[in-house]
Amino acid sequence: MAVAQGAPRRGALVSFKIPRGRAASLSLYIIRRILWLIPVLFFVITITFVLMHLAPGSPWDKEGKQLSPAVVRNLNAKYGLSDPFLVQYGRYLVNVVHFDFGLSFQYEDQPVSGLILRSWPPTAVIGALAFVMIVIFGIGIGVVAALRQNTWVDYVVVGFSTIGASTPAFVLGIILIIIFSVTLYRVTGGNFSLPTGGFALDQHLIMPVVTLATLPIAFIARLTRASTLEVLRQDYIRTAWAKGLRERLVVTKHVLKNSLIPVVSALGPTFAVLITGSVIVESVFAIPGIGRAFVVAVGSRDYPMILATTILFSVIVALANLVVDLLYTVIDPRVRLG
Amino acid sequence: MDDSVARLRWLRVPALLTVVGLVVAACGTSAPTTSNLAKDQTLRVNINTEPNSLDPGQEQYNYEGAIGASINETLVRIKPDLSDVQAAAASSWSVSSDGLTWTFKLRSNGKWSDGKPVTGADFVYAWQRILDPRLAAPYADPFFDGIVAGAQDYGSLDAVKDAAKIPDFLNGLGLSAPDASTFVVKLQAPAPYFKWIASLWMSAPVRKDVVDQYGSDKWATSPTSLITNGQYKVSEMVSKDHITLVPNTFYWGGAPTVTKIINYEIADDNQAYAKYLNGELDLDSVPLANTDLVKNDPKLKNEIKFVPQLTLFWMDFNTRKAPFNNKQARLAFSKAVDRDSLAKNVLKQRSTPADFFIPKGMNGYRPDLGTSQAFDPAAAKTMLTQAVGDPSKITIDFLIRNSTANKQIGEFLADQLQTNLGVKVNQVVIDSKTVTTRLRKHDYQLYVGGWGADYPDDQDWFDIWMTGSGNVFGGYSNPDYDALVKKADIEPDAKKRQAYYDQAQKILIDDAGGGFLYQRNYMFLVKPYVQGLTTTAQDFANVGDWFWGKVSIAQH
Repeated sequence: MAVAQGAPRRGALVSFKIPRGRAASLSLYIIRRILWLIPVLFFVITITFVLMHLAPGSPWDKEGKQLSPAVVRNLNAKYGLSDPFLVQYGRYLVNVVHFDFGLSFQYEDQPVSGLILRSWPPTAVIGALAFVMIVIFGIGIGVVAALRQNTWVDYVVVGFSTIGASTPAFVLGIILIIIFSVTLYRVTGGNFSLPTGGFALDQHLIMPVVTLATLPIAFIARLTRASTLEVLRQDYIRTAWAKGLRERLVVTKHVLKNSLIPVVSALGPTFAVLITGSVIVESVFAIPGIGRAFVVAVGSRDYPMILATTILFSVIVALANLVVDLLYTVIDPRVRLG
Repeated sequence: MDDSVARLRWLRVPALLTVVGLVVAACGTSAPTTSNLAKDQTLRVNINTEPNSLDPGQEQYNYEGAIGASINETLVRIKPDLSDVQAAAASSWSVSSDGLTWTFKLRSNGKWSDGKPVTGADFVYAWQRILDPRLAAPYADPFFDGIVAGAQDYGSLDAVKDAAKIPDFLNGLGLSAPDASTFVVKLQAPAPYFKWIASLWMSAPVRKDVVDQYGSDKWATSPTSLITNGQYKVSEMVSKDHITLVPNTFYWGGAPTVTKIINYEIADDNQAYAKYLNGELDLDSVPLANTDLVKNDPKLKNEIKFVPQLTLFWMDFNTRKAPFNNKQARLAFSKAVDRDSLAKNVLKQRSTPADFFIPKGMNGYRPDLGTSQAFDPAAAKTMLTQAVGDPSKITIDFLIRNSTANKQIGEFLADQLQTNLGVKVNQVVIDSKTVTTRLRKHDYQLYVGGWGADYPDDQDWFDIWMTGSGNVFGGYSNPDYDALVKKADIEPDAKKRQAYYDQAQKILIDDAGGGFLYQRNYMFLVKPYVQGLTTTAQDFANVGDWFWGKVSIAQH
């Protein structure tokens, strides 16, 4: 066909020999995707930098007692804000290449990298636990509901996911605190209750993780249910049943593998969102996490902190997407990368 | 049923003891009754926000002063009733007859938290450091450059371009330590209020060897290097979670009863409130929305602690723009707001209405001066019409910081002005930083501003309305007012000084430099077992946080 003739010949553009074999092409793919991060980050930094400097309000403008012009001038000199915009931008790029993210404006003289390393672990722990819950419960109840469509099990799951998807985290969080902390404390005379907030690797984790996971569980359950129902109607499933396979085999081998493709693509971004923190959950439960740190940084125009957090978030989102793409090849052999 | 009665009776005993404790404290003998003390002397409070810095030269917010008041000891410290200062790091002080030289004698047994003696040189270094443009200390101006002899040039020194001149500038300041136990300050002009400046957190001494060893930007960020001279010292800092204080074992005044203070950094009101109910906090500010609930709760209402604060709010009129360039128009706006209704319906009676400037608790408190701004909607409308014509043709841009409380107050004021004056009010709700930027550029017409005392001297209040002040944005200017305040600021005779300030306040109110609204009060819940709480009208983040050293925890 004419169209085929016009297409470029594969391989002509690269001088070296393309490695053969699936593993080799996959690793080449991963390297290429990671290298792509560099221009992506460059644009993220540039856009954030420009927007930040366009935003009204300087880091030294605050409520209450005002700083005098002399003090503001000294502060600008100290943090290099009196230089022209392009000089500041160039200096920042050079520093970032050396992994120097600068000093925070808000927390006097503290390196931003240290602030992020301090506030990210609580967020990551809670996010990762919530993600595990989402994968287990979201997919689990979604599949069960589909297999028992139009029974009470299905109705309960659909009911839960409708309520779960429409309850904001701050409402759920406060309800949990009222029930499991305040009321339980009162009823048991102070002997047993969940801590109202704070972060520690013990029962402190229960309520934040549940609050964070509820909405995504509801969402993933609905998605899984819908896609499982679709797969269940396919001819090959009918064939599997007809061959007399047992339910467990049909579900794990034939249904799940096919119904999970849209779920996996939704789980990637969900993971990225969870691990970068929820401001609401962190505020409601007083968790010293990065979601709150980011919002505080924006509110106080802490430029170095805003930039560093944005860079971190972009890297996480890019990596999560990469993992999703790789998972496709595992779940669905028809997908080829490279 | 039986259980709840028993619990109530059981609670009343410590509550009574608290009262006894307060009376005892008020009598000046604050010896706690050791028989009923709890084994665990830990006090748990919430300071809302993580301090940006614990370097005395860098602190600027109440959640920083809340820690500073316990870990740093300044030359003198406020008395709880704010009538005067009392001896602290200095055991005595004297002022030369011309009022220009202040000599502080330091305690011979004053010690840092590492056991070294506190010397005059530590104060000289700390004060020079604040006036070093390279540190960019937030309050170098006006507290130090406007007071210390030789510091006038601070404003013209550039941290980078004039770096070579800085050492000479610092050495030329009127700060000296003739011997290890003396600190002498020379002033630019007599200043009766200088004792208050010596009590501010940024006036605390700083150790040069510590700063040199750990770095000016690092020493205050870790408990090991944060060497301080107060009754308590920092033992633990967990970012955005808490800061723990323990007694400084070398402190001259002996060991306090409370052996551990945990300062939580909980931003969410409801979270802190739940923590209080669950016994995880010993003190808590009542969230505005829960005010009535707490007042009507049979148990909680006994734990309420109500403390007026030296903080006052007003309508800030931009006098550079119409209609507020007209004095009668400003006065009309001031008369059009029902402050009683504001205090009752919006602020849940946690604030006191005020149509005057100086709040209750200060020397200059004169509520009788507010008559010209008293609520009178009919007179207000007539006045406005006479001054600038048909009110319905006037539209006011009202700048409001984006927070629930500010929006509620803003909505109330807008409604009052629209109803009582017939003007149109356009509420501009934007984020806090942007509001400040617009205020500093004078790009607004109306805004609710306020002032919280740095120290309880009238000078701190009256100076902000002087021509060219950076703390009131509206550009109010009246030469008569300026002249009176300048005279009063340096007047050594207390009576004469007060008379000048009273005249100045009358001018300010009659000119409607601001439309004064209300004084803020603290409403806290305090567990009955917290004894010896000593509150002031100038507390930082919690009622009583100037004097944690006087507190003890009863058995409970």
